[in-house]
Amino acid sequence: MNSFPEKTFIVARHEFTKTIKRKEFLFMTFFFPLLFVGISILPAMLSGMNPAEDQKVGYIDLTGSFEFPKSIQNEGLSIGSSETKTSVIEFVMYREISDAKQALQAGQISSYLVIPEDFLKTGTIELYSPEKETSMSNFELSSELSDIVITSLLEDKVDESTLNRVRNPVNIKFYNIGKSGESSERGIADIFASFGLPILTAFLLLFSIFSSSGFLLRGVAEEKENRIIEILLSSVTPTEILTGKILGLGAVGLLQIGIWLAAVVFGSGYALPVKIEPYTLLFALIYFVLGFLFFASMMAGIGAVTGSLQESQQVAGIFTFAAALPLIFMQLILTNPGSPFSVFLSLFPLTSPIAMLTRMGVTAVPIFQILVSIFILLISVYVVILLSGRLFRTYLLMYGKRPKVKEIWKNIRTESR
Amino acid sequence: MYLILMHAVEFENVSKSFSEKNILENISFSVRQGEIFGLLGPNGAGKTTLIRLLLDILRPDSGEIRVFGDFLSPTTKNRIGYLPEERGLYKKTRLLDMLVYLAQLKGMPENQARLNAESLLKSLELDQYKNKKVEELSKGMQQKIQFLSAIIHEPELLILDEPFSGLDPVNTKTVMVRILGLRASGKTIILSTHMMEQAQTLCDRILMLNKGRRVLYGPVDEIRKEHGKNSLIVEFAEKGNLNAIREISGIKKIIERGKSVELFPEEGISVQFLLEELVRKANLTRFEKTFPSLNEIFIETLESVSNE
Repeated sequence: MNSFPEKTFIVARHEFTKTIKRKEFLFMTFFFPLLFVGISILPAMLSGMNPAEDQKVGYIDLTGSFEFPKSIQNEGLSIGSSETKTSVIEFVMYREISDAKQALQAGQISSYLVIPEDFLKTGTIELYSPEKETSMSNFELSSELSDIVITSLLEDKVDESTLNRVRNPVNIKFYNIGKSGESSERGIADIFASFGLPILTAFLLLFSIFSSSGFLLRGVAEEKENRIIEILLSSVTPTEILTGKILGLGAVGLLQIGIWLAAVVFGSGYALPVKIEPYTLLFALIYFVLGFLFFASMMAGIGAVTGSLQESQQVAGIFTFAAALPLIFMQLILTNPGSPFSVFLSLFPLTSPIAMLTRMGVTAVPIFQILVSIFILLISVYVVILLSGRLFRTYLLMYGKRPKVKEIWKNIRTESR
Repeated sequence: MYLILMHAVEFENVSKSFSEKNILENISFSVRQGEIFGLLGPNGAGKTTLIRLLLDILRPDSGEIRVFGDFLSPTTKNRIGYLPEERGLYKKTRLLDMLVYLAQLKGMPENQARLNAESLLKSLELDQYKNKKVEELSKGMQQKIQFLSAIIHEPELLILDEPFSGLDPVNTKTVMVRILGLRASGKTIILSTHMMEQAQTLCDRILMLNKGRRVLYGPVDEIRKEHGKNSLIVEFAEKGNLNAIREISGIKKIIERGKSVELFPEEGISVQFLLEELVRKANLTRFEKTFPSLNEIFIETLESVSNE
């Protein structure tokens, strides 16, 4: 009778359902997208908070040389749709400051400007508004004022197109030149898609790999600590437990990544129109699976050897730190993706999933480097699974003090059961 | 061919060592189907290792192990239920889910496992707790659950390692009744324990280990007979009778034990002869051939082994 895959499946299913009900998992999985959506939407929300409020602004021009328009349209950012909300700023001229003050106190105007006589020398304009006035509308006003000042100063001295250039000096367009020499225009969204998304994916991968392999570590250490491992081993082999756990928690990780990517697509589609390249997704998937296998089997080995949950987390911390190196050197990878150190990080199995995806985001990584990186990772996964499997079989039932490294090494080589 | 007397467990010259330390040396024994078999011995005797070999958690260095006539395999694991000495349950899992999972790992289909779990919980009046997490249950309840987790998949062979440790008298009785009930229904039970009183009451045959070696093996009654000190316990209606029996020839030694008296006959003196003599000289209210308790044999054997 071949009950091997069946029991492995039972273990996998148990691990999956147990983990997705954990509070930590639910928090991690749903808090992150909220955070992302929050980060992408919040600035838009803030700037678009009160755009539709019309206001009347008084002004006193002590230089006597400014021409204010009667009113201007002010465009505010809005969320979601492309519908632009506008507000109107109406300007009212006063001869005396005291008149303007009275009008402000009477509520006829929301604020007033004083343009001092020495404006040309100092560039200072004074804005007076009532106490507790929200400063948001004042910010809008100050950007409009620059335009008014430029227009007033230059209107009769330069031609229309020069005036426009002074108002809005540079407008950058991005082009990519392909191998055959053709050029294509890139929008901001494209730049974000090719640059930001792989990095974002790399981050998500890292978090997902850490959280699911962390669940594995916890599971093994807990089962060992509360001794249920002995009952499990009387029913299934260590290999079945190990395989089942890795499959079950791997599925948890994929589910988590799926939810996050969906949130990214939804969130970014809402705030910034981007699309995720199938190419990026494919490599993200490959690196996730391999990276997860690598870390998960390593965590299983650590969980088997150590005596308690706390101890296992301390030991695992060393490896987790190594894996987080690409984050520490993110700046370096981003600015210098082709440097030997960046290449090393993208080939070294502990750091390669994250480092390679990040590099792929900022530069065209030679395909052979990607293949070599995947190959090294594959070999490492194989070796780690082999070693962890041995540790798993040897140490699961040894309670008490953690064995010395030398002893572990001896047992890996001779494996007694 | 139909085997009437198939053994539930057979060990043939099994040895196991860890880092050159012999844990079990050349152990042979068999457990008959339908019996309660005691696995006795002091701490460190090798009982747990023997059990782990039987469960295929560990592999022997040499020798053969068979369960129901088959060499160990995933299938034999499914036929064995195990209550380990070190108790363990999933603390944060719902009671019913945990029992179903453990039964599934023993190869039982989910539906059947669920039915069994429900009916077992009902039989112990625990069914109102089936959706509670294990950590929410009292210690006594957890012990019952631990026992259930060993029998939920209806194993033919049940290995109980110290099943009474930490149990209050009421739960001890519940578990004892269950063990006897399981034997009555034809299950084979291996009972590993320090509690000699329970072993003496429950076990048909025993194997006693010391430092990895077999020191005693056989039916409990025979072992007790073999280790008999050949003494008699006697009680009289009148106290004065004691002097009368001192006159009987063939009695080596007399020890007064409160109301009763223990007599040690000389070599070659039969019980029958002594009884006849006693009846002539005194008014007897009790006459009993004594057997040492398993506990006495246990201690005596250990002492004699350590003196060697």
